[in-house]
Amino acid sequence: MSLLAQSIINGLITGSIYALVAAGYSLIYSTNNFMHFAHGISVVAAGYMVYWLFTLAGTPFYVTCIITVILSALFGLAMYRLIYLPLQRKGASNVILLIASIGILTFFQNVIQIAFGSGVKLIGYIEVAKGITFAGITMTLLQIVILVISFIIFIMLYQFMQRTKLGRNMRAVSNNKELASIVGINHIRVSDFSFLIGSGLAGVAGILVALEQNLSPLMGTNLMIKGFTGAVIGGINYVPGSIVGSFLLGLAENLGILVLPSGYKDAIAFSMLFLFLLFKPNGILGKKEGRFDK
Amino acid sequence: MIISAYQTHIFILIFIYIILAVSLNLALGYTGLLNLGHVAFYGIGAYTSALLAIEGMPYLAAMIIAGLFASVFGYLLVTATDRLKGDYLAMATLGFSFVVYSLLLNLREITRGAMGIPGIPKPSILGLTVRTNDQYLIFVLLICAISVFIMYRIVKSPFGKLLEANRDNAVCLRVLGKNTFGLKYKAMMISAFFAGISGSLYAHYITFIDPTSFYISELILILTIVIVGGLASIKGSIVATAVIIYVPEILRTLDLPSSVLGPVRQALYAAILIAILMLRPRGIFGKVDLE
Repeated sequence: MSLLAQSIINGLITGSIYALVAAGYSLIYSTNNFMHFAHGISVVAAGYMVYWLFTLAGTPFYVTCIITVILSALFGLAMYRLIYLPLQRKGASNVILLIASIGILTFFQNVIQIAFGSGVKLIGYIEVAKGITFAGITMTLLQIVILVISFIIFIMLYQFMQRTKLGRNMRAVSNNKELASIVGINHIRVSDFSFLIGSGLAGVAGILVALEQNLSPLMGTNLMIKGFTGAVIGGINYVPGSIVGSFLLGLAENLGILVLPSGYKDAIAFSMLFLFLLFKPNGILGKKEGRFDK
Repeated sequence: MIISAYQTHIFILIFIYIILAVSLNLALGYTGLLNLGHVAFYGIGAYTSALLAIEGMPYLAAMIIAGLFASVFGYLLVTATDRLKGDYLAMATLGFSFVVYSLLLNLREITRGAMGIPGIPKPSILGLTVRTNDQYLIFVLLICAISVFIMYRIVKSPFGKLLEANRDNAVCLRVLGKNTFGLKYKAMMISAFFAGISGSLYAHYITFIDPTSFYISELILILTIVIVGGLASIKGSIVATAVIIYVPEILRTLDLPSSVLGPVRQALYAAILIAILMLRPRGIFGKVDLE
């Protein structure tokens, strides 16, 4: 019984990290309509930023966090302005943008590997790593912090999308780009902000990943696949959907390894990704938007 | 031999990658199938051939079966992704690469997982064993020439023209009474077959394979080759393979430590890919745009 409860808790914790990745990713997808696969590298770059500023340079932890989130947001904006937007202006198709984004992901993964080496890096912020056992379930303080922070962020994000003018503009562009342009919404400005906010969320995810797991340069691909899978399960063009999908993925992985060998964690995620893309590409909660060959 | 041992090695790799790149171009360029799962066919071919040869199967049979087995997966992939198009098709095929990668990693009883498969025998044909790298170079050159010749004849044939017509306007082709789904299956299966062959050549040359040889970094490399060379151009893929495999070897003269050399090369491939997409998306000899 407690094993089951522990698996559910672990699933929620993993799920909340996936959800942070997926939320940013699907925010960017919904307003831009192309697969920003390089989102994964924003997460890893943020993790290494924490390692560099906090562990190596000794910057105070909270200052490090603020700088990291701001730099991640700007990194995302730079990718949009320097690579995606010029490509779009030349009339590149979504597939070209997808291939370019895989290229960006690989490029920066290798740059990080050159700069920091391929070995695993530890942040060493141990104040929060103490385990707390409650009713047979063990959690570290850090894991509780991860859950709380991600829930606060999701509520803020939802409120932002529903209540603010910018959030409404984003939903308008995501709903219908042409109509949004007709009523005077500048979709490039909206895209700018979606990259800023989405990549800022990646920055938060990166900080939490850096604290919870060890850093390695090649983790970006895996995190991206997980975030992407979560987004696809819930509905890639609908931010709340992708958050729900990510939690489902986290639970599926952690409950799945109760019956399968633990090495199959990734295989569970990959298979879910493949099956959802084939049979339910709009996800559980996503908007019905025809993507099939008509 | 007139060329150094190291150059022999590079040339062998170039010929293996030519088969791989031309076969991807057959699907991606000529047929317009946005297949990001090609690297999985390559891996399936390598593992099949390696495992069969270790069990004592003659090399040529192992190689052909490797190709056919990859081809079966090509059939399954088209069956599964038939209804998808555009970036969703690209993502689903990329997902297929991930699934195959994680299976290679996790089916430990068969593939030995991350430990990889060592001691893959060198090819032996009709009692003649290919022992030295010089002999392997000649062997690979021969297989490469045959493969590229077959694929060249396919794309120049009426069937090849149908593939291109299907890429450019599938609806028109259906109006003319052609079975466009059948075309996709055939093209993908041929493409996967040759990817499997090149996987087999790779496995028996290096004599050790593990799942990381068939993942994203390989995918970036062959995509870069095909896009730099140009879609729907066999000549382009051949030239681009030679250039893209050979040029980074200049890096070796910089005397970098070997732990940095690999990432530098990978970063360079990715940078070339982004640059060509931004500057000249049709590649050097390309005739069509990627849609």
